[in-house]
Amino acid sequence: MIRFALGMSLALFVAGPVSAQTLQLMKGIDAPHYDAQRTTWGPTSDIVNMFQDTLVALDWDGRTPVPYLARSWTISEDGRTYTFRLRDDVSFCSGKKFTAEDVVYSFKRLKDPAIKAPYAWRAGDIKELRATDPYTVEYELNEPYSELLLQLTMFTNVIHNKASVEALGKDYGIKGADGTGPWCFESWQPRTEIVLKRHDAYRWGPSLYKNKGPVKFEKLSMKIMPEESSRVAAMMAGQFDMTHQFPPAFIAQAKAAPMLTVTAAKPNFQLLYFGFKTTRPMVEDRRVREAMSIAINRAEIAKGVLLGNADPAFTIVDSDALDHDPGTKGIIKEDIERAKALLDEAGWKMGSDGVREKDGIKLQPKIYYTQAGNTPRVAEAIQGYLRRIGIHWQLQPWDSTIAPSKMAEQDYEIWSVTVPYLSAGDLMNIYFDSRNIPTPNRMNWKDAETDDWLKQGRSALTDTDRAKYYALVQQKVMRQHLWIPVLNINMDQVANKKITDARPHMIYQNTFYKGLDVSRQK
Amino acid sequence: MSAEALDTGLAPERESGVFARAGVLRRLARDRVAALAALLLAAIVLAALFAPWVAPYDPYFTDLTKVMQPPSAAHWFGTDNTGRDIFSRVLYGTRNTLMLGLIGVIVGGFLGGVLGILAAYYRRLDGWIMRLVDIMLAFPAILIGLAVAAIFGAGLTAVVIALVVATVPDVARVARGAAIGVMGQEFMEAGRAVGVSDTELIWRYLTLNCISTIFVFLTLRFGQIILIGAALGFLGMGAQPPTAELGMMAAQGRDFLFMAPHIATIPSCVIFVIVLAANLLGDALRDVLDPRLQT
Repeated sequence: MIRFALGMSLALFVAGPVSAQTLQLMKGIDAPHYDAQRTTWGPTSDIVNMFQDTLVALDWDGRTPVPYLARSWTISEDGRTYTFRLRDDVSFCSGKKFTAEDVVYSFKRLKDPAIKAPYAWRAGDIKELRATDPYTVEYELNEPYSELLLQLTMFTNVIHNKASVEALGKDYGIKGADGTGPWCFESWQPRTEIVLKRHDAYRWGPSLYKNKGPVKFEKLSMKIMPEESSRVAAMMAGQFDMTHQFPPAFIAQAKAAPMLTVTAAKPNFQLLYFGFKTTRPMVEDRRVREAMSIAINRAEIAKGVLLGNADPAFTIVDSDALDHDPGTKGIIKEDIERAKALLDEAGWKMGSDGVREKDGIKLQPKIYYTQAGNTPRVAEAIQGYLRRIGIHWQLQPWDSTIAPSKMAEQDYEIWSVTVPYLSAGDLMNIYFDSRNIPTPNRMNWKDAETDDWLKQGRSALTDTDRAKYYALVQQKVMRQHLWIPVLNINMDQVANKKITDARPHMIYQNTFYKGLDVSRQK
Repeated sequence: MSAEALDTGLAPERESGVFARAGVLRRLARDRVAALAALLLAAIVLAALFAPWVAPYDPYFTDLTKVMQPPSAAHWFGTDNTGRDIFSRVLYGTRNTLMLGLIGVIVGGFLGGVLGILAAYYRRLDGWIMRLVDIMLAFPAILIGLAVAAIFGAGLTAVVIALVVATVPDVARVARGAAIGVMGQEFMEAGRAVGVSDTELIWRYLTLNCISTIFVFLTLRFGQIILIGAALGFLGMGAQPPTAELGMMAAQGRDFLFMAPHIATIPSCVIFVIVLAANLLGDALRDVLDPRLQT
């Protein structure tokens, strides 16, 4: 109660009074900056999606690109050239008219080595961009990229105003940034608050929203509240309108609270998994990996550890995601007796201390993960299951500032992260392509067949071909048990009951997206 | 006159003599609070020591169908967020927490004692050793624990290093103070005059005369060391799952404070009782053993 009371006091202190014309949002983590091209950072994406736009938007189904700044497009027969017809009624917050030159500039900047854009690959292997007239762009690729449109919905591919980038220099995305989004960047106080104001000229909302613009609030304030209890207390006290970062452990309380509404983003592709470093002797045998994967009870973990805020994951790719292969569904069959038999067969015999051993080595792999979020609790639950089959997981959590570099090392067997993704191709290409060894392909999975199928999937000219090759990859990596898919984590949006039409989107852990329909009852 | 002859005549009272002095136990028993604290601590130590025989369940056995159950006849302290029996985990956790405290006090006490006595005996080393101690004092134990855990990974090693570093400087200062007092005694001069070696003087003349002071200080320090160890465990820098440790157990329960407060409060209460009992006993021991407080 003391913790709650302190949290409540802090929340009241931080939040202040609610203005009728200001939409009050909050989240737990701030971003280092709001220049979308220079980061992979999720906390950048939510704000960027509010004040900047992409050529295409992502529909509620999480798999269909719909017209946005581009009102239509055609694709050449060889799949290498996309011709985008742009809207002619769009302007930036600064008042400048949006034209094809802005698109050309934005993608050239993205590909500029000086920017070191970590997600530049999402825009495909660009050969050339041409503005053939003020509202037409030819987007030419070196090789076909079957998921280009889907990837263009990502925040890293938003359109920038060259004048704003050049005027602000190193302060771009810190002291300001121009955009065509429904909100305009007003101010940012790092780790405290970011304030956006209504883009009054905005009328080009994508088809997924009823309201095409402008938004229904004069301002939007996003406050940063790192302490979980404070976020809970503040929402309970009605100090904020919405958050997409409500602590999962308190979702049940939020659901029971008379003043709050909890809505889960559906679909939502966010997988918590454990990956095997296949070059390590302890887990190089597929049977050992499979034994660990089938000795756990995912439904129990979802219910007992995540308190129902997750679904068991029996496939790497969610069944609702684009190019999910239904044939992968039966590969993981939880069966503790079979798990024991597999370990026996692989030569790992039970030792007197209850831990299996082989050639004098104990089966006690080291597990790396970040000491935050759900992973520590899930890891502990799995550790409990595996003790029953004679495996001792040595859990090694790392602080979030150190975890990425530690996970890039080679002296551990298993790691865990939670990954948001757009489609099967998105996930497969990031993790299983041998070009991505040692990270994010931490499995050190170097397989010519996998690489070839990924290439075929990327450059497929038809949906059927793309799905076929990505299905082959899914089959292979799942039959090899390179990962233990454990849970598809829910993404819940918690809002005050007075807030209406706030349907949560699934895009990159960012439920608000454009927020065009959101309004507050008087 | 030989050195051996001098030993019996001039050498200081031995350790056994210190504790046997004037019925320490009898006087300790006369202090009701101290007696109660001693009994409580003894009961906790025994329960922890015999945890494998006393614990009703395997402390590591998870059962996700029985998570966060409140205290009941089947589970006296309830179950935690992975369905483990909290009573069994408290027994094992107490064992680890006490062990950490003891290691911190023994290793830190030994190193601090050696440094302090050497600083007092070899005056040319005094400045160097005391500046080293000052540097160590400048770093809070929690910060050292966090730094060690960041470099080598969280675990008991990080906690032990932090606890030792937290103990050494204070003990060194106390030992030095006590030793300087003894250095002025006549028997030290006499020992030197008859050619007793430095090793012999340091151990038999100096150390044995300072040991009761150091011991009293360490008993008082024990509670604080337990608390620092538990705090590091709470921050996730100490024992890693499935190992039970009271600070870590309290931390695991904080996310469920509204739903299942017993997960965090029970281990926290056990820490409180251990520290309180250790402090009360330390106070009583000081009263009994410190000759300056005896009338």
